[in-house]
Amino acid sequence: MSAGSDTVAAVGISQPRRAVIDRAWRALGPGVEILSGDDGGPLRRTVKRILDPLVLRLRSNPAFSAPFVDADVAAQMADAIADHADRLRACAAWFELMKLERRRLRITAGNAQDLYFPVCFELAVTSGAPGADRGQRAAAALRAVHDDRDRTGVEVLNEHVASPQVLTRLSAQLHRSWADVHADDSIIGPFLAGLTTVLGPAEGHRAGVARQRVWSALIADATPHNLGARARTQPSVLPWSILDLGLTAALPLAVPPISGGTDRDRPLDRSVVDRVRATLRRALDRDELPDVPLLCAEEVDRACAPWGFLGEDKQAALVAGIEVAGELAPLGQSAATRYLLAATIQARLRKEAYVLHARRALAGTAPLHPRQRQVIEDLANFARPYLSRLWARLHGRDVWQEPCDDVDDLRALLEGVARSVSLDHRQRIKAMLEVQVSQ
Amino acid sequence: MKLVEESGLWRLGPAAAEVPLVAVLEVDGAVLAWTVDEEAAQISLTDPAGADWLWRILGESGHSMVAAAAGQPPQSGAETDLSGVDVLPGALDALRRLALGHWLRRWWPASVRDGIAGLDAALLDAEIALLTAQADDFVGEDSLDADIGTLLAPHAAALTMHLLVGDPRVVDLVARCVRLATDVGVQAPGWAELADAVEERASGSVASSHQDDYALAAGSDGGPATTGSIARGVTSMAWSGVPGGVFDAAEDTVRWAVIAVGDRVSAVLHIPVIGPGSSDGVPVELRCGSYTAAGSLDDAGRAKIDLVDRTSQPVSVATAWDQDWSATAVVVGVRTTETAEARDRVRRFARLRLTNPGPDAYLAEILAAEADY
Repeated sequence: MSAGSDTVAAVGISQPRRAVIDRAWRALGPGVEILSGDDGGPLRRTVKRILDPLVLRLRSNPAFSAPFVDADVAAQMADAIADHADRLRACAAWFELMKLERRRLRITAGNAQDLYFPVCFELAVTSGAPGADRGQRAAAALRAVHDDRDRTGVEVLNEHVASPQVLTRLSAQLHRSWADVHADDSIIGPFLAGLTTVLGPAEGHRAGVARQRVWSALIADATPHNLGARARTQPSVLPWSILDLGLTAALPLAVPPISGGTDRDRPLDRSVVDRVRATLRRALDRDELPDVPLLCAEEVDRACAPWGFLGEDKQAALVAGIEVAGELAPLGQSAATRYLLAATIQARLRKEAYVLHARRALAGTAPLHPRQRQVIEDLANFARPYLSRLWARLHGRDVWQEPCDDVDDLRALLEGVARSVSLDHRQRIKAMLEVQVSQ
Repeated sequence: MKLVEESGLWRLGPAAAEVPLVAVLEVDGAVLAWTVDEEAAQISLTDPAGADWLWRILGESGHSMVAAAAGQPPQSGAETDLSGVDVLPGALDALRRLALGHWLRRWWPASVRDGIAGLDAALLDAEIALLTAQADDFVGEDSLDADIGTLLAPHAAALTMHLLVGDPRVVDLVARCVRLATDVGVQAPGWAELADAVEERASGSVASSHQDDYALAAGSDGGPATTGSIARGVTSMAWSGVPGGVFDAAEDTVRWAVIAVGDRVSAVLHIPVIGPGSSDGVPVELRCGSYTAAGSLDDAGRAKIDLVDRTSQPVSVATAWDQDWSATAVVVGVRTTETAEARDRVRRFARLRLTNPGPDAYLAEILAAEADY
């Protein structure tokens, strides 16, 4: 048995958080049925979009987010939910109205729960239960949700970079910043050795603390910066080929263009404007629209920084991701050996590939129809899409200055990217077969 | 219950059978699997911390014990006894039904020869979509089986037809499905019209008509051409080597012949297709001794391929007549280790479900059984 005995004892007196939420929700009584499943518990999206962020407020109450909580915390959570009983009932009433309005207007875009839950809770907070003007309010809220929000930011960007003066200024800044980055001559061995700990096992609290300490030290290490800088001058000294890994289409790495290029560009080759456009697209969930000229100027510096990130934690995270990516092969039989985290991800990927086989969408790990061959070859080359997506996630974090300095968070990120790339691929493999079937 | 290591993951419950006898469901942090004609569930934990629903099926203390024991990835061969931990009665029924629904979609042994009627794909998917929405606590957004939109999207036209036929059980299913489609945002062609049709029907303005679309398109019975036939035979194909929904699922459907046409020797193959999928492009290979014919089927399940020897040279008619063809083997699709016994067991299971529909029967199965009389 692998878990330490202290863990078992601690868990013995605690309750699964979802069970705590479920109980507190049922105690609310009638009035929230539309936010509940058939069994009376809260819907998954009720938890994810309303209870976690807006009622339990996990960001300010991290204790509420643990998978298991003790009796004290459980009581606090139940209180928080009970305290919001009126708001939750009002929220349910607003959702009922928004759904009616959605049907009336024949809107079919997006998932109603995903889109309207936070809006309904906001209405409940600002206006309480629906009043006499309920129909108008619901219609107005619905319009606000479905207005094309992403056009504005991208349009501002297009106007901004249409000006020749702006382009000249950004271009001068780009070449200046690019020339500013140099590598020193330290060695990379210690950094890679540290990764073995960061990506390795940690049983018990003490080992967890030690692992965090190593990750903090690796972020402060110059190695990720140096590797990124050497990719521009001496790519042959890197321990892997970032060309083969699909991070760039040409070595040594050249200064990226200000604009132009296509969606198919490798991450480190993407133009500055494309990177800003990606930021604006991802900014949809955010309230504040970023200032476009400022974003562009900042993105120039970011594009010039090693690996395209200003944050040293993001640079280190990408290097960690490159090391993990080398060990992943969903359709391969071998188990990863260098890092325990990679072995865990690899075991999961293979199980996910097995689901396709059990669903008659793959013959073992081979295509079931010649039409699937291309997608399956892509899957064999897992490192490329994996790193491409990891880079995009890290880029987003770099822009919004969301740290990557927590080792558990880093590991969750490396796992989550694998999951989403695998899901994408599997959906394509399945779709290739359904195309074949429907003809 | 025991927690054991399997392929680098923790597993609860007994190991499930191989394809085609296994029904699987991907849920948050785990892959669930059942041998289709047995009760026990196999729970493979792909991410123990992500399986935040375990308390629903193991109870809260059971969940705690599993979480503690599976907190670290397993060493090879690891095994932990969790005494007192067991699946609560009935807790997995809905998920098993959902897994079976996905299995029915892919492995149902529809066959004209065996008299096992096909299942209506649109109604099956519609019911799976509704059950998926109900399994919301288990099936998260980023799992393969959460995608209700893709499941429903292609079926607007078929469901509209069903609405016209007007079986009340079907009408109810379609109406619930339309509500679900509206909520999850299905924007595929025909769905807006289907929603209108459901509404009109509810207001009672539609006359009922009748149609019977259950006849399977039977493959014509003409075997491979017999002129100049040197040898011929029949054999069976493995289901797991070919896509579902294409071939008649009976045994001994693969007819082959080695024929001489002029001075060439060819292999001729014919396999009855029942659709709705096409057999076009499915690889086939006939092999006997040192002679092979490898190619692919056309959309009628036929292929005519020149036979070659080990050096890829054509085979002469005289040599072909001298050859003993009794050891001829044919592989359709991909070579697998699937056995005829496993397929027989699936057919028995399917017949039982048709003749004796249980509480977990899908409407598509019930209608197929009714159409049999």
